[in-house]
Amino acid sequence: MFNLPIEGEELFALEFGDIVNYFSLYTTTLFLFATAFIIIAIIARPERQTDIVFGTDAVYTKEINQDNLRFQRFMAIACGLATLGAVCSGDLFNFSLFTALIGITNIGIVAGVNNRYVLNAAYNYGIVAMVATTFLFGGASMALGTCGTLSIWELAGKGLVPLAAKMFLVLGVMGEGMAPFYIAKAEITRAPGAPYVLMIHVSSLLIFLRVIEIILTV
Amino acid sequence: MITLIIPAVFIGLLFHGIHRKVIARIQERPGPPIWQEILHTLKFSFKQTWIPKTASMPMYVFIVAVSIAIWTGAFYIVFSGGSLLLLFAVFMLHKITEHGLGLSSGSPYGKFGAIRSVMSAASEIPLFATIAGIYVVTGSLMISDITRYQEIHGPLLTGAFPIAIAMYIVILSKMHYGPFSIIEAKEIVSGNRTEHFGVWRAGLEVAYALKTFVLLAAFVLLFIGALPWYLMLIAMLIVLISLSFICAFTPMLSPFDAVAMQTVITGVLAVYIIILGVIG
Repeated sequence: MFNLPIEGEELFALEFGDIVNYFSLYTTTLFLFATAFIIIAIIARPERQTDIVFGTDAVYTKEINQDNLRFQRFMAIACGLATLGAVCSGDLFNFSLFTALIGITNIGIVAGVNNRYVLNAAYNYGIVAMVATTFLFGGASMALGTCGTLSIWELAGKGLVPLAAKMFLVLGVMGEGMAPFYIAKAEITRAPGAPYVLMIHVSSLLIFLRVIEIILTV
Repeated sequence: MITLIIPAVFIGLLFHGIHRKVIARIQERPGPPIWQEILHTLKFSFKQTWIPKTASMPMYVFIVAVSIAIWTGAFYIVFSGGSLLLLFAVFMLHKITEHGLGLSSGSPYGKFGAIRSVMSAASEIPLFATIAGIYVVTGSLMISDITRYQEIHGPLLTGAFPIAIAMYIVILSKMHYGPFSIIEAKEIVSGNRTEHFGVWRAGLEVAYALKTFVLLAAFVLLFIGALPWYLMLIAMLIVLISLSFICAFTPMLSPFDAVAMQTVITGVLAVYIIILGVIG
């Protein structure tokens, strides 16, 4: 598949029958980026948010519950590991599975904040992620039904995967990677834990970049 | 390649200075000397450096290093004829670094800048339209193949003008003082860079100088083709001055309008690419 002029040279491939997990220059870059941010989520201490006292010039630092932050850190690491899986998977089903896991862990990162407005937002994201799962696995199912395989390696350059399946995959990824939804709501300004919140955006962007590569390849 | 990075940084900083000077002259102000940004960066390099007590460490420092690393990588991709998809990835990853910069300090101004940076990720959608369009026209995403295509078929600037416009808008959205520069709006102080001073700010200036250099070089390579280095620099300067004119004449849009405008542009381009794909 690396004769395709899309993602640069092959660096490593690991075969499991017709399923080939591979690292190209492109996916390796994404993999390394995700790894760097997992390490940051593990070692970084969260920021202490400062806020302005309403109606005055005073500024105060918010107190953060350590138990909640531990849960957020766990979810951020799980999210990072799922992202690693999604960027190096050579199979549409595995990609969909890891992407769905990213959606779940993203909700976990948001839900780790002990604030009823943020929890309410996490509930809304959960609904979006669940709906997106339908598209994600629907896209993979359509590809399997049409081509008889889910292997990206096998499907590369043949143009067999129908456009509707590709669109379903993109829609699914857009729903699971919740950064655009999260950023558009006021709750993010209330949520502490920069290294963990950032993991939501890292995972959302990386799966979007991966799905672009997949739809161009298959 | 590494020996080219340092001149690229200085040229990028000089371009920032020229950008400020052109905007100032259009607005009938004297403006700073064109080497002002180089002096700024040198000054920041030797100023007292501190880390806010509220900052998330080591993320506060790490994100500056990532910013420099990704644009150094982008420089390598462009000048080694690498994959355009990888360049697209760098542009998207830049959004993460912008976001991380703002979040890591704990400052509310930084956080608002960070939020605006993710909102303005809509500015990357025209880039995807550019990539899809170039792939439809040239059949390849390798920059080396695209420059070879232009040697045979002529510049893509005339052959695929709407795609060039899309890329131009992407560059415009990343320019300082532009209509889409909502992350640096003065109502949020310096946005996501508010709390990064001293050597951290110098690091960011280096990264952004490389960014400007890479963006302009990529535009020239993708839409005009490979040129001798001096013609390449002249072409980049012309593109930069045209961008400065737009920045000088247009007010900064509100976050909502910035996102809406970029989405509309992408929609129009998507229709163009579909037509191109069907007819082609």
